Amino acid sequence: MTSTTPTSSIVQDLPKSRGHWRNIWANFRRRRLAFVSLILISFIYLLGIFAPVIQTHDYQETNLRETQQGPSTDHWFGTDRAGRDLYTRVVWGIQTTVIITITSFVTGSLFLGVSIGLVAGYFRGWIDAVIMRVGEVISAFPDILLIILLAATLRPRITEFARDVEDSTGISGLVSSGIVDYVVIGIALLPLSWFGMMRLVRGQVLVLRDAEYVQAARAMGTSTPRILFRHILPNVVSPIIVSVSFGIGAIALSEVVLSFFGLGVQPPRPSLGVMIGEVTARGGASVSVLRDHPEQLLAPIIVVWLLIFSWNIVGDALNDVLNPRAR
Amino acid sequence: MLAYIVRRLLWTPVLLALAAFFVFFMGTFAPGDPAELRLGNRATPERIERERERLGLDDPIPVRYFRYVGDVLKGDFGDSYHYQGRPVLEIIAPRLWVSMQLNIAALIVAICIGLPLGFYAAKKQGTGRDPAIVISMLILYAMPVFFTAPFLILFFAVKLHWVPASGWGGFFSLQIILPALTIGIPGAAVFVRHMRASTLEVIGQEYVRTAHAKGMSNFVVNYRHVARNALLPILTIMGFTLAGMFGGSLIVELIYGIPGAGRLSLDAIFQRDFPVLTAFVLLGAGMLVLANLVIDVAYTIVDPRIRLQ
Amino acid sequence: MRRIIIGMALSLVVVAAVACSGGSGSPTEAAAPPTSTPPSARATQPAIAPDLQDDSKSDVSAGASGPTQGGIFNTLWSDPPTLDPHLVTDGTSYGIVIEVFSGLVRLGSDTSNPFEPDLAESWSVLEGGTVYEFKLRNGLTFSNGDPVTAQDFKWSFERAAHPDTASTVAEEFLGDIVGIHDIVEGNATTAEGIEVVDERTLRLTIDAPKAYFIAKLTYPTAFVLNKNNVESLGRNWVDEPVSTGPFTLKEYRIGQRIRLARNDNFWDRPAYLDEVVFNLAGGVAMAMYENDEIDVTGVGLADLERVQDPTEELNKDLVEVPPNFAVSYVGFNINEAPFDDANFRQALNHAVDKQLIADQVFSNLVKPAYGIIPPGFPGFSADIQGLEFDPELAQDLLNQSSYADAGSRPRIVLTVPGTGGSPGLTTEVVADMWRQNLGIEIEIQQVEWATYIQDLHRGRLQAWSGLSWQADYPDPQTFIDVLFRSTSAINYGGYANSQVDEYVVNAQTEQDATKRVQYYNDAEQIVVSEAAWLPLWWGVDSKALVKPWVQDYAFSSLTIAKFKDVWLDK
Repeated sequence: MTSTTPTSSIVQDLPKSRGHWRNIWANFRRRRLAFVSLILISFIYLLGIFAPVIQTHDYQETNLRETQQGPSTDHWFGTDRAGRDLYTRVVWGIQTTVIITITSFVTGSLFLGVSIGLVAGYFRGWIDAVIMRVGEVISAFPDILLIILLAATLRPRITEFARDVEDSTGISGLVSSGIVDYVVIGIALLPLSWFGMMRLVRGQVLVLRDAEYVQAARAMGTSTPRILFRHILPNVVSPIIVSVSFGIGAIALSEVVLSFFGLGVQPPRPSLGVMIGEVTARGGASVSVLRDHPEQLLAPIIVVWLLIFSWNIVGDALNDVLNPRAR
Repeated sequence: MLAYIVRRLLWTPVLLALAAFFVFFMGTFAPGDPAELRLGNRATPERIERERERLGLDDPIPVRYFRYVGDVLKGDFGDSYHYQGRPVLEIIAPRLWVSMQLNIAALIVAICIGLPLGFYAAKKQGTGRDPAIVISMLILYAMPVFFTAPFLILFFAVKLHWVPASGWGGFFSLQIILPALTIGIPGAAVFVRHMRASTLEVIGQEYVRTAHAKGMSNFVVNYRHVARNALLPILTIMGFTLAGMFGGSLIVELIYGIPGAGRLSLDAIFQRDFPVLTAFVLLGAGMLVLANLVIDVAYTIVDPRIRLQ
Repeated sequence: MRRIIIGMALSLVVVAAVACSGGSGSPTEAAAPPTSTPPSARATQPAIAPDLQDDSKSDVSAGASGPTQGGIFNTLWSDPPTLDPHLVTDGTSYGIVIEVFSGLVRLGSDTSNPFEPDLAESWSVLEGGTVYEFKLRNGLTFSNGDPVTAQDFKWSFERAAHPDTASTVAEEFLGDIVGIHDIVEGNATTAEGIEVVDERTLRLTIDAPKAYFIAKLTYPTAFVLNKNNVESLGRNWVDEPVSTGPFTLKEYRIGQRIRLARNDNFWDRPAYLDEVVFNLAGGVAMAMYENDEIDVTGVGLADLERVQDPTEELNKDLVEVPPNFAVSYVGFNINEAPFDDANFRQALNHAVDKQLIADQVFSNLVKPAYGIIPPGFPGFSADIQGLEFDPELAQDLLNQSSYADAGSRPRIVLTVPGTGGSPGLTTEVVADMWRQNLGIEIEIQQVEWATYIQDLHRGRLQAWSGLSWQADYPDPQTFIDVLFRSTSAINYGGYANSQVDEYVVNAQTEQDATKRVQYYNDAEQIVVSEAAWLPLWWGVDSKALVKPWVQDYAFSSLTIAKFKDVWLDK
């Protein structure tokens, strides 16, 4: 990606960046498909966030007298083999996706990726070298394998720890509410999220740190953190936003794959990946299910499909709007 | 440039050593004991102990690590825990070969669909066809493999009987078609996007306009000037795609029953077959590093303006 | 000996799994995706399971003409960890090894005669049951033409036990023979308990009279190998083995396929098939079957409705597979609260409507278990009083227990193996029944197989599911004694009842068969009444599909060499 070199206009614009963003938003809104996609994404995420309110059943409630039913007025998407309501499970599954995407993005990409990128790019030298080498080692692993390896090995330890905490402090629900799962998945997804973001930010910072206005700030004796956060970070925001919007789809998909293998969210809490894994018997029965009970497979898959598609459209549009010079 | 290549190559073993250490570390940290897994649920503690000793699991990690590094330097990656008494390389090599063939087939699919389509879309910019192509490719790109794979099997194998439903028969077999499509179609979407972008960029360049002005035929301009120059950035994408494909396409291999590297390494994780896993990581990381290097160097050859630092 | 069978019965795909253990020869059926090799390999194939029923031949009628020679039979299989008979510990390897190698005796297919002579034409038990003398068949040869002698058996047994062979089961299967233990320990290289009387006579002395000793000799650890072959090829000998079974190994490509070819030097009538091809890579079994890529497959739950529809083409190929002798269950750690209270455990038992689950979730392919020993198995008693579904009684029992108050009740974590096989749908249904009928909330914890097995061994699981127990040999001892004797290593829940211990110890020495069975049944009744487990299902009636041109493909409850009788009518 060609870097957006800070033009003097951006530097001057800093104080009135509100207008800058309003412009961008106006530009974005003109792209109809992207705008619709964004609405779609918001809608799906709202479904997930309000899952407890809009559910029609209890997600773990089995009803053995109504198994494997097709869509009906009572069960909008039908029921699974244990008679659980697919619609309810899908919206709860979305909630899982929402939580995981947000947590792993906030911790991995935004917090770790951005801060390490800033540090590496600004200080260069051995700090940069060490960070880059570590990143290269980690990124040398095949992504999904590393995620699976981490999830498989970390989960028992973290769960055990959480139980100890619960038992000794009297806090309850750490494990049963799924918080532990989110932590495990979040950590497992870290290698996927931090390095790309870090490299991006670092590249930008490498260019920016020598920009005149930064040199000027340095000459005026501005402290390093202030330079980093006040002068450099605001100019890296655009590429960060683009990268996040492309990355969210990938994160959501990784959670699906993890849960598909039984390493993600624990039952009975639903996740889109758990639903896919369960109904296809981890892949083997996928053809049969698609033929005989397509709604059971399609309900979670279409949501994943829409999410990834929409995020890509939005990412594309943001890329055009925010980095007009980068193609 | 030579210095650069040498520097990169020198760095490789360090990277590999670190990667191997990481697997060792995870190995000791992970619950589950390879000896116990091998012995099954009936083993007495003494038998487990004897087995651990035999596998050398009781030594401290640094000892095991350096012993392993020493063996690897001699070309010995050890024996698999799961495939009793089989040397690791004997197990990994054929699997890697399978994955590579599949991914090359998929890349061919992606290129054959993606490049012409991307080029076409760019040429049709401003008409309805351009967004139609871009959007439909994005839809295909976003299609989860959990759907693509069973759908293709159901349609082309079970209903139409055109191709076998699954399995592996080598590069020149009918079996490779469906999995190659499954991996290749999303890949094609990536190529469409990049090919379209770089074509648009090239179309706007002066030399293209000059060529047109000189009265060269559309065909010549398209193929000699536009397409060729637009391909340059594609090279990078291709490199990344190939390198990324090395990990094996886990789900595809799983659903189609392809004995590739992805499944082997997944099994190795679940079976705690650390010799296989470590060797796999070493080979994978090594290949990734080499692939990146080759791409970088190739880039400088194709486009002399780029210099390696 | 694979006693643990991962909870196929708990999965969506119960049928397929059982079809496999029944011997349909497709362990990688839809049921078990290839990733699940480690557990499912153990899962799908019983090592030694007794067959007390006649082989139920597939209902394909033999054509007017007799068997014809030739043809290739294709089947799905999973990747065997080893093909060295002495190292075999799992069902996947076992199923292939018994087609290629053989030993003195093999499992029979008849209640009255559970063991058949194989390479030995006869044997006699001497010295009050401590000496076994085997007479080898006349003119026996290996596949390469070398003669098979008693000396070959002596060498093979000693090789199996040798520490360098690294067999993890040699001691278990051969350890009764005097002197084997010393070889295993590395203190000796020959065993005095193995005597070569002459070329065709082998005498084995064991350390005490043990009725089940002969059963152990059916396991591949006791198979005969060719010394020359093994020693000259080093550790790669298994790629080109010289063997005595109905087939020889023609090609083995790890993870891809195994091809067996007919052994023309087999002592009995040679097999009809030219080749048997085991596809190890896996795939979507049902689609492969419909596409004529494989000749037999188990039917997964997902396909059951369609296959049972008489208007479907596939319905003609449908075959019943006899159930295997297994019981699946939810295990409780008796030493941990709240499972230390029998009332509480009984309440959990009474709160689960197994019949409803069997009907609705498993389309009646599983049979609710109210006892431990499966029907049809020696020692099965219809008189065992199980804990039937009764929500009111369950509630009463819960109220009587010391954990009636939800607030003070300790946390309950039910662990299931989360990878390999399918996610535990049964577990979720059972948990929901506890919730609905008793208001008991539990946490379900999915862990990887590797973690699961380790925690199970260490007794770290409070409650677990996803396992079933498969009979090792046709004797109730394999269920009651092994699982519930307080000192048994396999008694993971730590169940201890002195009365049960007394019964099973008495049974060990009891000579009267009826009395012996009575001991086991009395013990079983105590175990069931005290709710040491929540038994879920007994072995399953399963279905398989067999292509119409496949003749004499026999399904049986145990894994026996079966391809030698198969022929193709194409």
